[in-house]
Amino acid sequence: MTVIVTLGVALGLAWNALGDHLVPPPTQAGRRGIPLSRNVFLKEGDEVVNARDARALFDKGALFLDARPVDFYNMKHIPGAFPLPQDDFDRAFARLEGLLRSRFEIVVYCSGYGCEASHIVAGKLKERGIPAMILDEGWPAWTEAGYPVKAGETP
Amino acid sequence: MGYPALHWVLGIAIGLVFLYASWEKIAKPGDFARIVYHYQVVGPSRLIPPLAANLLAVTLPWIEVVVGVLLVTGVWRREAAAVTALLLITFLVAVSSALLRGIDIENCGCFSVSGAGRGAGILLLLGDAALLAGTLVLAIVSPRRAAPGAITAPQAAAANDRGLTPQQPVA
Repeated sequence: MTVIVTLGVALGLAWNALGDHLVPPPTQAGRRGIPLSRNVFLKEGDEVVNARDARALFDKGALFLDARPVDFYNMKHIPGAFPLPQDDFDRAFARLEGLLRSRFEIVVYCSGYGCEASHIVAGKLKERGIPAMILDEGWPAWTEAGYPVKAGETP
Repeated sequence: MGYPALHWVLGIAIGLVFLYASWEKIAKPGDFARIVYHYQVVGPSRLIPPLAANLLAVTLPWIEVVVGVLLVTGVWRREAAAVTALLLITFLVAVSSALLRGIDIENCGCFSVSGAGRGAGILLLLGDAALLAGTLVLAIVSPRRAAPGAITAPQAAAANDRGLTPQQPVA
């Protein structure tokens, strides 16, 4: 059994390191290997801020966007944040577009570990010409730092 | 159907399932790593760096390839079935834990890793359990056919009912 698992692991690591050389990928996005130590949610050009820097931006009046489903937003969110849920992006974006285009510093957050919504929303904003930063480790990083939160449906 | 034939059929069927399952994960490692993250079992988290989940994402599909090839060809079938059973049990635990923690896994990452795959739910657990039953047969039950002339348990019972003593010990 150990031999089987070891063989599989060795093949996997070898393919991850050499796959692109053995079979050239059709496109850059179709690469056969991933950088092992980097979070795959992060894309080229993503700007990530940690909770402390996000707090500094918050104090300066940056605009925060909550990418979680709206029910989570209604339970609790960062004060002043607007809901821009990934699962209802187009509708929410249409409502907020004017505001978003008038601001320079925008921070998007979601539920943290394992949550990709903030990356997806920031990517969609970027496609529309609106640069946005991503709060690293999202909501849990903010609340564990003891930063302010607010309940209810309004920012 | 004799035991050897049953073992071949089960081995080839389960082996093909695993070979098929490995294909897209190998073709799109980034997408599969993303799905591993969604489970939130091996991170990334504050304590676990992305390395753990990334390593799992690049090696697991190749373990599936190795067990798939072994099961289909019948080489080291028993050992391959034992590894397969372990993979399936780990997956059962991961899916159950995600469901219990209220994590909505939109794509279980079983066969397809991009876009809308199969969600994680009770049906998925049942399918996994069925595969597990098959691999356990391969791992535990000996494929040897009963020796020629040996009396099977039903024959022995029938002989007993007629007041006869079986000539040979019942296996």
